[in-house]
Amino acid sequence: MLRASAQITTVPFDPRGITDRSVDPLIPKGGILLDFVDAVLSGEEPARQTSRAAVLDELGPTGLVDASGVIANFEMMNRIADATGIPVGQGTLKRTAEWRELVGIDQFNHL
Amino acid sequence: MSFDFAGSAAEVRMDIRRLFRREWDRLALAGTWWNGTERGDIARVARRSRSGGSGAPPGTSSVPGAAIEAAGRVGSAPAGIRREWVEGIARDLGFPRYIEIVGITSRLAAVDTFHTGIGAEFEPFPEPEPGEPSHAEEPFARPGAGWVPMVGGASITQALSLVNAESTAQEDMHGPLYLTYEGMAHLDYVGGLSRAQMELVAARTSAINECFY
Repeated sequence: MLRASAQITTVPFDPRGITDRSVDPLIPKGGILLDFVDAVLSGEEPARQTSRAAVLDELGPTGLVDASGVIANFEMMNRIADATGIPVGQGTLKRTAEWRELVGIDQFNHL
Repeated sequence: MSFDFAGSAAEVRMDIRRLFRREWDRLALAGTWWNGTERGDIARVARRSRSGGSGAPPGTSSVPGAAIEAAGRVGSAPAGIRREWVEGIARDLGFPRYIEIVGITSRLAAVDTFHTGIGAEFEPFPEPEPGEPSHAEEPFARPGAGWVPMVGGASITQALSLVNAESTAQEDMHGPLYLTYEGMAHLDYVGGLSRAQMELVAARTSAINECFY
C-alpha cells in the first residue's frame, strides 16, 4: 500500500527507510513519524514525550491522533495475522520480490 | 465517562471515543465462547504480558491455563507464534475459543497502543456483566490455507470469521483507527496524515513486529 500510494501521489519514497533508520524515507515528515513509531512501540516515556512533541509541532494534533491510530490498528492486525497464520499469496510474493529484498523483510521467518 | 483521555496531548475524535466505549462494552459482556468475567481476565493477562509480566494477574482465575498462555503469547510475542503452537492451544480450548482470545487480545493491543501514542493513561477495565456465551457456531467456516478455520479464502479480513462477533469487532476497529476496508482503495486519501505518511507508519509498525502484513 505504501508503494502504491507513493506512486499514485508521485511522492518520492525510499523503502529502505522502513527498516534502515539511517536511510531517509523521503516522505515529508517521514523521519519524525518513524521516530514516533519507534518511541511508541519500543521506547521509554521520556523518548515518547520528545517524539510526541515533535509530531505535534510538525503535524499538529490531528496528525498525532492519526499516527497513533495507524500504529494501534497495525498492532491489532499484525497480531491477528500472526496468530491465525494468514499466508502471503504467491502472487504477492512474486509482485513484491524486489521490494522485499530492498527492505530486507525476507528475514522475517514466518513468511 | 470512560475514555475521556484526560491529560492526553491532543483532542481525540468522537468516532474513536465511541469505538473504544463500544469495545469496552463488548469486553464486559458475554461473548460467543467466553463470558464477561472470562473476557475481562483474558484482557488482563494480555495487558500484563505486554508490560513484561507473565502468567495470570492476581484474581484472574476464571480461565484455564491454555487461555492464559494464548492471551499472553498473542499479547506480547505474536511474531513467534507457529502452527504447531496454535494447534496445541486449539486441542485444549477448541478453535472458536482461541479465535475469541485472539480478537480480545489484538483489539486490546490497539486500544492500549493508541493511549500510549497520545500520552494518556490506560483505561481501567470495565466490570463484567452477567450472562452466558451464545455458543453461536459459524457453519460456513472450513480449514484452509491459514492455521484456523475461516469462512472463504484465508485473508486478513476473514482471519477471525470462525467467530463472527470477533470478525465484526475487528472491522469496526479498522475504520476509525486507520481506514475502512473499502476506504483502503483510496490511495490519495489525506486526513491528519497523507496516505503515504499513514502507510509509512503502518509499514514501520509491521517491520518492528516482524510481520509481513
